[in-house]
Amino acid sequence: MVALNEWQERLEETALAPVRRTGPRFWALVAFLLAVIGWGAYAYSVQLRDGLIVTGMRDRISWGLYIATFVFFIGISHAGTLISAILRVSQARWRTPVTRLAEFITVVALICGASFVIIDLGRPDRVLNVFIYGRWQSPIIWDVLAITTYLTASVTYLFVPMIPDLALFRDRLSGKTSRWRSGLYRVLAIGWNGNVTQRRSLASAIGVLMILIVPIAVSVHTVVSWIFAMTLRVPWDSALFGAFFVAGAIFSGISILIIVMAILRRAYHLEKYVTEKHFVYLGYLMATFAAIMIYGNISELLVHGYKFAEGVEFHFRQLFLADFAPLFWFYLVGGLVGPIVIALLPATRNVRGMVAAAILVTLAMWIERYVIVVTGLRVPLMPYEPASYAPTWVEWSLLAAGLALFALLIAVFTKVFPIIAVWEVAEDHEATVGASGIARPAALETKN
Amino acid sequence: MDDETTTRSPAVTDTSQFDRRRFLRIIGLGALAVVPLPVLPELIRAAGLAEGQPEPVHDMSAPARTRDGRIRQWTMIIDLRSCDGCQSIGQPPRCTAACIEGHFAPEPMEWIEVFEAELPGGGTRFVPTPCQQCQNPPCVNVCPVAATFSTPEGTVLIDQERCIGCRICMASCPYDRRFFNWGNAPIPPESLLADYSPEHQVPAKKGTVMKCDFCPDMARTGTLPYCVQGCPQQAIYYGDLEEDIATNGRVVVAASRFLAENDAYLLKEDLGTKPRVYYIPGHGEAVGRDAFTPDRQPTEWPWMERAEGAVTWSR
Amino acid sequence: MNVIARRTVRTVIGFVSVGVVAAALTGPVLASHVHVNATVPSDGTLGEMIRMPVALQAQDGAPLQGTTVVFYLHAVFAGVTGQAEIGRAVTDETGVATLVYRPRLAGHHELRMEYVTPGEGTVEEVSTAFDVSGGKQLYRPAARLDIPGINGGLLIAVLATVWSILLWVAFRFIAIARAGGEAMTPGQHKTG
Repeated sequence: MVALNEWQERLEETALAPVRRTGPRFWALVAFLLAVIGWGAYAYSVQLRDGLIVTGMRDRISWGLYIATFVFFIGISHAGTLISAILRVSQARWRTPVTRLAEFITVVALICGASFVIIDLGRPDRVLNVFIYGRWQSPIIWDVLAITTYLTASVTYLFVPMIPDLALFRDRLSGKTSRWRSGLYRVLAIGWNGNVTQRRSLASAIGVLMILIVPIAVSVHTVVSWIFAMTLRVPWDSALFGAFFVAGAIFSGISILIIVMAILRRAYHLEKYVTEKHFVYLGYLMATFAAIMIYGNISELLVHGYKFAEGVEFHFRQLFLADFAPLFWFYLVGGLVGPIVIALLPATRNVRGMVAAAILVTLAMWIERYVIVVTGLRVPLMPYEPASYAPTWVEWSLLAAGLALFALLIAVFTKVFPIIAVWEVAEDHEATVGASGIARPAALETKN
Repeated sequence: MDDETTTRSPAVTDTSQFDRRRFLRIIGLGALAVVPLPVLPELIRAAGLAEGQPEPVHDMSAPARTRDGRIRQWTMIIDLRSCDGCQSIGQPPRCTAACIEGHFAPEPMEWIEVFEAELPGGGTRFVPTPCQQCQNPPCVNVCPVAATFSTPEGTVLIDQERCIGCRICMASCPYDRRFFNWGNAPIPPESLLADYSPEHQVPAKKGTVMKCDFCPDMARTGTLPYCVQGCPQQAIYYGDLEEDIATNGRVVVAASRFLAENDAYLLKEDLGTKPRVYYIPGHGEAVGRDAFTPDRQPTEWPWMERAEGAVTWSR
Repeated sequence: MNVIARRTVRTVIGFVSVGVVAAALTGPVLASHVHVNATVPSDGTLGEMIRMPVALQAQDGAPLQGTTVVFYLHAVFAGVTGQAEIGRAVTDETGVATLVYRPRLAGHHELRMEYVTPGEGTVEEVSTAFDVSGGKQLYRPAARLDIPGINGGLLIAVLATVWSILLWVAFRFIAIARAGGEAMTPGQHKTG
């Protein structure tokens, strides 16, 4: 009993710590990120003034870094779905310390991703036309609908399991923190005091959401892939795109989760809760999805490459041998084979190894999105010389600003909201350890 | 002890307390809320939010009609036997030049572009390629705001007042016939005086898409498009499939017969876009071109020296 | 010779020259072996086939077989006037060449039929006219495929379901907030 209470206390202290104390390093980080975002804002103002000509895009390659980054961020947003929902449905206990982080990442990634579509528009002043004149038959409208639905569901799915923890914050921090914060926690905790009726409502809400959000998330990245697959471009005209993109999304979602987890674990001393086991398990999941991606690539490339219909030969040459070969091979070897090797070797089956694999995967997946967009448009449609594309400083600046915004929003979240799902971790701990502090065999766990 | 553990945690999958009737009631409410969505755009428009925006189809003049009141179905037939890429006159292709001058088409847009295609057995042919005005247009299918749309005459137009510049239409066109205003396009000052309409895309607007429009405003009044008029070999025919007639400015032909008897073909027919531009196979032999004479003069635009502060770009 | 003889010669020369001139003027007609009879129905309907038989006979009345007759329609389009070829037909053993034609414009039309006379190889023609009535739109672009149920309605149904469920979840919040007044049962931990 005492041991359990102590354990509970330590858990709550760890969750409260980021909110209680903010050191100078945090402010330095915020300042740096704001500077990068500020520079990005300046780059965007140049683009607004002069038009998209300040980018490297032209008529023949009319999409580039912006759309690639948009797809990348929407892909990352699947971190939350996988961890929170799928692992929750399958009642995998080890997920509990990371669910909150994953849900943060989802919401932030969706916001960043949606910004990149707006940045890519030639007439952002007319973005409301999408709502006034929207056509149901357009893949872009499907995108808008899916992402809006997913954002709403994700925010809800972030917030609902957070209610008991917000109540904890409300109770433990009242009077000890700024007024706006106390007010925020009081409002958001919506009067939670853990009574039976409330628990029931919470349980049913979580239960419904965790099932609902899986098909929503799958539909989101499928619909994003259909922006490409609904065109007649040779490299994009594939029935496989939907499934392929969803697999890639979950893949990159896991990798970004590992990276964010490693950073926050170090920064907020979560080592006791986010252990090496979590990294290894996520690493295994990442390796599994790498295998799925390899399968998807083989399916796609072999089926087209065997026949070499019109345009496919050009595409294969640019992909494997010529202009995009360095990027594409890095993606295949570093991004797909690498994580499998790292997960298999005992020497790299630790936090460092998994983080290294995650960095490779994140980089490789951004490259893969970039290669898909640019090579798809580069295959000549008529007898003309293939064009080339290189992003300009405006595009790179906005990419940096997008990543900085992602990091900044997560950093700010950790300072306002509970970084760990306290009640879920406690519940998990209790189920495995029991009130006496002695580990209970798994078979005797009550179904919780 | 037991009380503490059993009442401690809300079971994750405890859904037995659902109020089913309430659930269904809410589902019903939600459905009712979402069902009006398809008319939401109309409601917004009716509420006056979109008052400044002219409805592209409604704002245009009535469709072109035959003498007996039927709607024209514009088509183009390009007789490649007579097209030599203007090699014989030593100039950049006149069809392209006429279109650029007539429409103030900004540099570097070639709404009708003369491609040089390799013949299977060797040699090349010149293929003037305007917008194919597809009947199953990939561009219209994907546009999120109906900025590009099909008209009753079968042509595809763009409303640059509505275009948001997302460029998914450019990704989906299989003929490379759509052009984007990446910056302030080089256009002559007099083009700014023109009355803009989707049938008369002058002046060009930054951040929107443009393309060949089959000159519908001219065709309606019985004038041939600029490219048809500009061709020195009269290789381009403009016609109406409803009346089954076409002309290149010199002779009049029955379109269906002209196409059938000369083995006309469509570009990329297997893609199912159903274009309205037909090609009669050839390589300029009717005007004396040898198939193994390559290259044409590069297209020129007369605007840069007259457009202040404009920038041009490569395609 | 006397005056009578000279007058006679002059008259004969006069007659012969008139005859020559007349023959010259009427040469083609007189020289033509072919007798043409073209009958066209006086009114056709837009979009429906009309038959245009042309009967060619040799001067002696025997039907001409195997002669190609080319049909031209007088047409004006985009300011260009011309003759568009609308078809060819070959005369059969009864000397009749029939073109079956679907008129594509209502109104009065002028038709010209050209053929090459056998033997002499000269091109001759005969003109006629016919009227077409009607106003039905003829050209139908290829039909789209309409599969019942797979349309925007399906999308709306799916969206409606998803958002209703989200709305239901929102109602759970209200339930939680409302139940805030309830006391905890004894022994319960607040944030368990």
